[in-house]
Amino acid sequence: MSDDLRRAESGTQLLARLEGRASLKELEPLLFAIGDCPLHGDIVEFHGPEGSGKTEMFCHLISRCILPVVDGGLQVEVVYLDTDYHFDMLRLVTILEHRLSQSDEETVKRCLGRFFLVHCSSSIQLLLTLHSLENMFCTRPSLCLLIIDSLSAFYWIDRNNGGETISRQESNIRRCIELLDKLIKEYKLVLFASTQTIMQKTYNENSGASHSEKRASSATDFKPYLCKLWQHVTTNRVFFSKEQKQESHIATFSVTSCHLKSKNVIKRSFVITEAGAQFIP
Amino acid sequence: MQREVGSCPLAPSVRSRLIAAGFHTVQDVVEVTASELAREAGISEDSAVKVLQILRPENQRGSSTAQKHTALALLEEEQAQASIITFCSALDESLGGGVPLSKVTEICGPPGVGKTHLCMQLAVDVQIPECFGGVDGETMYIDTENSLLVERLVDVANACVLHCSLITQAHQQDDQKIAMQRFTLNHILSHIHYVNCHSYAELLAQMLVLPDFIAQHSKIKLVIIDSIAFPFRHSFDDLSLRTRLLNMLAQQLIHIANQHKLAIVLTNQMTTRIGSSESLLVPALGESWGHAATNRIILHWERLQRFAALYKAPNQKDVTVQFEITHKGFRDVQAVEPETSSSKSEINPRKRPREHDKEYQP
Amino acid sequence: MVILREGLCPGLTADLITVLKKNHVRTVVDLVASDLEQLARKCSLSYKTLVAVRRVLLAQYSAFPSNGADLYEELKASTAILPTGNKKLDTLLDSGLYTGEVTEISGAPGSGKTQLCQSIAANVAATLHQRVCYIDTTGGLSGTRLLQLIQCKTQQEDEQAATLERIQVIHVFDAYKLLDVLQGLRQSFSQQLLRSGEKLRLVVVDSVCAVVYPLLGGKQTEGMAVMMYLARELKTLAHDFSLAVLVTNHITKDASAVSRPALGRSWSFVPSIRIQIHRDEKNKQGENRLVSLVKSSRQPANLQVEVEIGWCGIFEEKNMSTACGT
Repeated sequence: MSDDLRRAESGTQLLARLEGRASLKELEPLLFAIGDCPLHGDIVEFHGPEGSGKTEMFCHLISRCILPVVDGGLQVEVVYLDTDYHFDMLRLVTILEHRLSQSDEETVKRCLGRFFLVHCSSSIQLLLTLHSLENMFCTRPSLCLLIIDSLSAFYWIDRNNGGETISRQESNIRRCIELLDKLIKEYKLVLFASTQTIMQKTYNENSGASHSEKRASSATDFKPYLCKLWQHVTTNRVFFSKEQKQESHIATFSVTSCHLKSKNVIKRSFVITEAGAQFIP
Repeated sequence: MQREVGSCPLAPSVRSRLIAAGFHTVQDVVEVTASELAREAGISEDSAVKVLQILRPENQRGSSTAQKHTALALLEEEQAQASIITFCSALDESLGGGVPLSKVTEICGPPGVGKTHLCMQLAVDVQIPECFGGVDGETMYIDTENSLLVERLVDVANACVLHCSLITQAHQQDDQKIAMQRFTLNHILSHIHYVNCHSYAELLAQMLVLPDFIAQHSKIKLVIIDSIAFPFRHSFDDLSLRTRLLNMLAQQLIHIANQHKLAIVLTNQMTTRIGSSESLLVPALGESWGHAATNRIILHWERLQRFAALYKAPNQKDVTVQFEITHKGFRDVQAVEPETSSSKSEINPRKRPREHDKEYQP
Repeated sequence: MVILREGLCPGLTADLITVLKKNHVRTVVDLVASDLEQLARKCSLSYKTLVAVRRVLLAQYSAFPSNGADLYEELKASTAILPTGNKKLDTLLDSGLYTGEVTEISGAPGSGKTQLCQSIAANVAATLHQRVCYIDTTGGLSGTRLLQLIQCKTQQEDEQAATLERIQVIHVFDAYKLLDVLQGLRQSFSQQLLRSGEKLRLVVVDSVCAVVYPLLGGKQTEGMAVMMYLARELKTLAHDFSLAVLVTNHITKDASAVSRPALGRSWSFVPSIRIQIHRDEKNKQGENRLVSLVKSSRQPANLQVEVEIGWCGIFEEKNMSTACGT
């Protein structure tokens, strides 16, 4: 597909596409169960309930990417697909200001210049947007990271609109994932996508019992509900949960990270401060 | 962002066919003819015509602009609206003039505290002619417990007629004299539309025909359901179904009250909630039902006296007032009218305080 | 899967559509995802035309990336924080309601959700002179009460009337009608109807739960879908037009008797800020309410303040003018 795009590609762009993407290994080594992660083409899933720090972790990763090398950043570009209309730009700015050695308006804006935000309101729009983003992946060699928050935003609407068969209900999201997989591999990008813990309905006040069982552990809570293809293409899965500590006022969050091929698992904690998410070593 | 077909009230099978055929937004649908739509989406022409009826923008706009106004208009509407007095001036005052029209008011309390009495009083009072400051309406009385007592209703109505005729004598105004010729016991009783519902299914069915009935009897200004709890407290294995039906019912009631500018009064029983340290007497039907009514009045006993507590009202403070039930009906404790001061009518013997009503609890 | 039809974009003629349909290209997605070179050969169509049509369709139907630096500039100009009229509550909310966000108040029956909504609406209309759209789904809104609250802010009668006129009231009692209303709001924005003069800054939906609850339960996905459509409509309204959206929700108790906002997990991702209001357990008859922060990206959760709801709503007694006695 997109022969028109490829035809228009110059030699330098081709080179950039095939060779030039910077490595993201230094992005946040503590987030991964094995070393040298993430590699080009990796697909990382963030899974967790509301308020478990997923979006905050995304902000941390974005700031790691867009900060200049002098401030310890990777100085690469990021595209953030916001399907939940949740992203708080001002929060990202606060984090940047705390991490920049020289946090004047100009420097902040130079960092933000490496960040691109897209809002999608339906799975169809997501699919078409991914098609149109291909051009951007192609022409911007310093673009390394794609984030989707969240991939499960359209789950109920798609289920309801798709009619009787599961395959119909999943058809849009499956096409999105097919395309994502192809784009990520072809353009040597890294994808982080969140999925929300929405199953195990608790909307009914009479089904309270299952609710408390749920809260026990979020790692055991995992119940794949997105289409099968998604389980197939993900390389790493990170479970987020909020730790309930009565005595301290600072909430700690924990991640359980699995490298799906090697089955390596690691558990770590982080706190959220004004300066963003910070792992507890 | 355009309105999507999926967010419209269509039959599930029609909706999924439309979407599968590529009709994503309402705009995509309304620009084709019914026959094209039927052919493209593989639905019958009849369904296609119906779909277009639902989705055509002129239909949608018509329904939503109708209920829009500014808060100033709302205030003027409220100020022009009379309330239904209870004959207990302390309670009326705490309610801001009486039981309000356009709202749902819930009366909760243990058996025998006077819920049905208050209902009967309101069923009569809503008919007080406008020249006496009344609403001049009619009542729809939905009885689910067979608790309406006609002889008591007669007492209450007679007392109300007497009250109005005393006012007429005192004021000697022509309009009141004319109104009194019509305002008689028979007139009152014949303008209480009484329905008996024995199960929740009957009650829900009644709710479906109620808007039509009200449209035919436009003077109805009060709908009473005594009680809402009884049909829903038994014969329910599936509690989530009950919650759903009750929530649906609540929205229907509020809609009727708002659309027809009439008062809806519900009675509810009390139930014991076992807490961690103490058990509390709370209104039945669960927490989410508590959101259904705009005003919630809880009637209760304290020693041998009856109290009404206004628990949840948007424009009034929470207050507790004392009331009593005489042979004339629902009244203040400090008698306002000279004739109620006679001590023999202090407490109605039929409804003595009952302290051992445990058999009524679930 | 938008269906291809004439007039969707220039170059997309009836003839072209007929040819495409014969080759199983019926929707925009089909066209965008197909190999255009192959398609051109197969249908003997001009490759250039197909490329042009694809480009226009993509431009029309896909979302565009905005650069962070530009967005930041825009946000600085458009973001507003609407104070609630109560200092403690503002502290809890980090100065007030933020435009672009959905804020949720949850609470038991009679805990004061509607009081809070009315107070905030009155404050925005009276002190900020900005317009409010108040969508009432429970019949709980009272014009009389709004007037009382506004009287605590100003004693001038013409100003009181003007303030009341800034609050638009809409009564809807079911979820689909609510969607109609929100869509209507969006349309009037895009037709610039609300842009002139005083700005619409706040949309209140009291309560979102009342209309969603009757649809939930059973095995049906319809209720969930309608809830998510509502969520999306509210979030995009807030985002696209720099509005603060305030919704109310019921509460539900789990097995350990901890009360949490109702409507379940899928909804829990919707509001950016969630606060919960409850009566003081020790002083049940009192006017004091405890308001706690359940979710926020700016403040640590578990913050709690005590707010008094009196004649002047949540407005501090200090601000109370003598008019309150009347």
